[in-house]
Amino acid sequence: MTAQRNQARHDETSRMRGLMLVAGREIRVRGLSKSNVISLIVTVLIVGVLAALPSLFGGDDGDEKIGLAGPTAAAMQTQLDAMGGFDVTVFDSAGEAEQAVEDETVEAAVADGSLYSRDGVGNETEAKIDAAWQAASVQTNLASAGLSDQEIAGALTVQPLEWVTLESEGGVTGPLDYFTGLIISVIMFMMLMTPVQYIAMGVVEEKSSRIVEILLTSLKPWQLLGGKVIGLGVISLVNLIAMVAVGLGVSAATGMLSDLPPGTASAAVSTIGWWLIAFALFGTLAGGVGSLVSRQEESGSVLTPLIMSLTLSYLGAIFLLNAPTSTFAEVLSIVPPFSGIAMPTRMAIADVPAWQIGLSGVLLALAAAGALALGSQLYKRSVLYTGSRMKISEALRRSA
Amino acid sequence: MLEIKDLHKRFGDTLALDGVSLSAAPGEVVGFVGANGAGKTTTMRIAMGVLAADSGQIVYDGAPLGVEQRRRFGYMPSERGLYPKMKTGEQVAYFGELHGMSKTEARRSAGELLEQLNLTDRAGDFVQDLSLGNQQRVQLAVSLVHDPEVLILDEPFSGLDPIAVDVMGAALRDRAAAGAPVIFSSHQLDLIERLCDSVSIIGNGKIIAAGGVEELKAKEVKQLRVSVETDEDLTGRLPGTVTRDGDDYLVEDSPDDQEVLRIAAAAGRITRFAYDQPTIAEIFREAVTR
Ligand SMILES: Nc1ncnc2c1ncn2[C@@H]1O[C@H](COP(=O)(O)OP(=O)(O)O)[C@@H](O)[C@H]1O
Ligand SMILES: [Mg+2]
Repeated sequence: MTAQRNQARHDETSRMRGLMLVAGREIRVRGLSKSNVISLIVTVLIVGVLAALPSLFGGDDGDEKIGLAGPTAAAMQTQLDAMGGFDVTVFDSAGEAEQAVEDETVEAAVADGSLYSRDGVGNETEAKIDAAWQAASVQTNLASAGLSDQEIAGALTVQPLEWVTLESEGGVTGPLDYFTGLIISVIMFMMLMTPVQYIAMGVVEEKSSRIVEILLTSLKPWQLLGGKVIGLGVISLVNLIAMVAVGLGVSAATGMLSDLPPGTASAAVSTIGWWLIAFALFGTLAGGVGSLVSRQEESGSVLTPLIMSLTLSYLGAIFLLNAPTSTFAEVLSIVPPFSGIAMPTRMAIADVPAWQIGLSGVLLALAAAGALALGSQLYKRSVLYTGSRMKISEALRRSA
Repeated sequence: MLEIKDLHKRFGDTLALDGVSLSAAPGEVVGFVGANGAGKTTTMRIAMGVLAADSGQIVYDGAPLGVEQRRRFGYMPSERGLYPKMKTGEQVAYFGELHGMSKTEARRSAGELLEQLNLTDRAGDFVQDLSLGNQQRVQLAVSLVHDPEVLILDEPFSGLDPIAVDVMGAALRDRAAAGAPVIFSSHQLDLIERLCDSVSIIGNGKIIAAGGVEELKAKEVKQLRVSVETDEDLTGRLPGTVTRDGDDYLVEDSPDDQEVLRIAAAAGRITRFAYDQPTIAEIFREAVTR
């Protein structure tokens, strides 16, 4: 009785050990290979430079130098200071202000109802100056209509809109922005595409070199496939974490970190969750279909459907970014396998009801479980078969 | 004791194994002989758990063979395979670990084997950069690294250079001397004759002859070879069916070998009087054509 239980526990540990040995070999041989290390270093450098760019080119503190003159100057200055982001200089006359623009001591100047600039100002600056002008003019007009400063202040005080999202429940992060969504979809795509191809290549390598026959005397097919998927998963995660760490580290060092939209951290964590499920789905399928062929040249043909659906998921997610509240976006982010990339992307750009997130997660996990079963069955049945490419139906008909 | 019992295996329309039984006692080297397609590889794959039998079983020390026990077996598949882009020493040690050794044990054992196989200075090279002969040696190291309890080798000598053949032969005898049952298949019947204690001959998925090498030879003995220094022709006088092989007389189906001896002795000096033993090759040919 006890002996049996001990035996069972012993088998359990040796099963895990086999899985981990396979994963460890993948990490050592593939993760620490010269090519992977070099490509990681290059990527990390690129990310570091990209993260440093804004502070290198953004110049000083980024405040817009604005000149003011004329009767509205005082009111304008109050408004612009309240908005922030402006470095205001008040000139005695419109002529002086115009000269300052000419001399490039200020970017733009507002005087006597005109906006002076050398070749226009940015959209955002223009909008702000415009808003300040409107408010300052209203204030000036109200003052000339005989209202006291207090009455004017009362009239101008506006309660900001309170956001009420009807379908949203607790735990959902607010919308970030388009750029975050774009980055998430690109990273998801890369982090799925690369390891998926490596898994298929690795399976075919073991088959074409015939080493799989000795491996199977001490390992079960699921250990061999599972270890590979875990190993490449770990490599991808380490690559991603290195990129994120360098990106955030450089941002922190250059003081840009506070400019990241709020919710970035939780978006990063939930994206990793979606990635894990999607990777289980695509990774095991890649291993399964990889085992259908015996030569590296043939692996492209069996991988095509997988690569196609990954690419479609990615393109779908990009499309979704432009219409995050459309029905298309809702459907895409719920239906697997597309939801793997679409949901984290959509979550970054729009408020997603919790039930949709839950449903999408469950469906994707179910699809991953199905893929796990299908992939390992395919693998088990066809991994020892050599010869021309096998059809999936043929592989499933074979006895293991 | 490893016993392969009554295996049946069908691939589609081909009946690959039709009741194959085979056994190897501790310390016994068993040669597995058969024409191409006879079913050797299929039998060994089933014994190693790489392939499932339709029926039949593998028994080890009296109980059905378990996964954990099988991990302590050493196997060389007929289709050789190694990771081309993995370092030699690392690869041999990896297989030691897969077979249940600790990391340090596996490293030590791999180092010792590579030393024996004269590969120590190649331990840091990728397997794909080794010569074919050296790759074969690595393959041998992979099947021996975990100090296996049982060896099952599918044509271990094919493709080996003469020195490697000797290394391999010595490795087999060593393992057997240490008490391991050893089964190997080969087409080189002289090697089987030299290395094996017993032989099993398979044809079309059935064992057609099996037994100790000496025993098989004795069973197949039929003809008496007699060399006599004489000018007389004894063909008509010796009892039995007599043919000539050079100057020798070959006597088959003799009712009385002592009578043959007396007649020959009377004719001249006898330089040879013995029953011919067939080689394994002859026994094999005989068994297959029967
Ligand atoms: N995977 C397989 N699929 C179909 N037929 C097979 C397979 N493996 C072996 N066979 C067939 O089974 C028979 C025995 O083959 P095998 O065991 O390889 O013989 P041997 O090793 O003695 O040359 C042959 O007819 C062979 O064609
Ligand atoms: Mg064979």
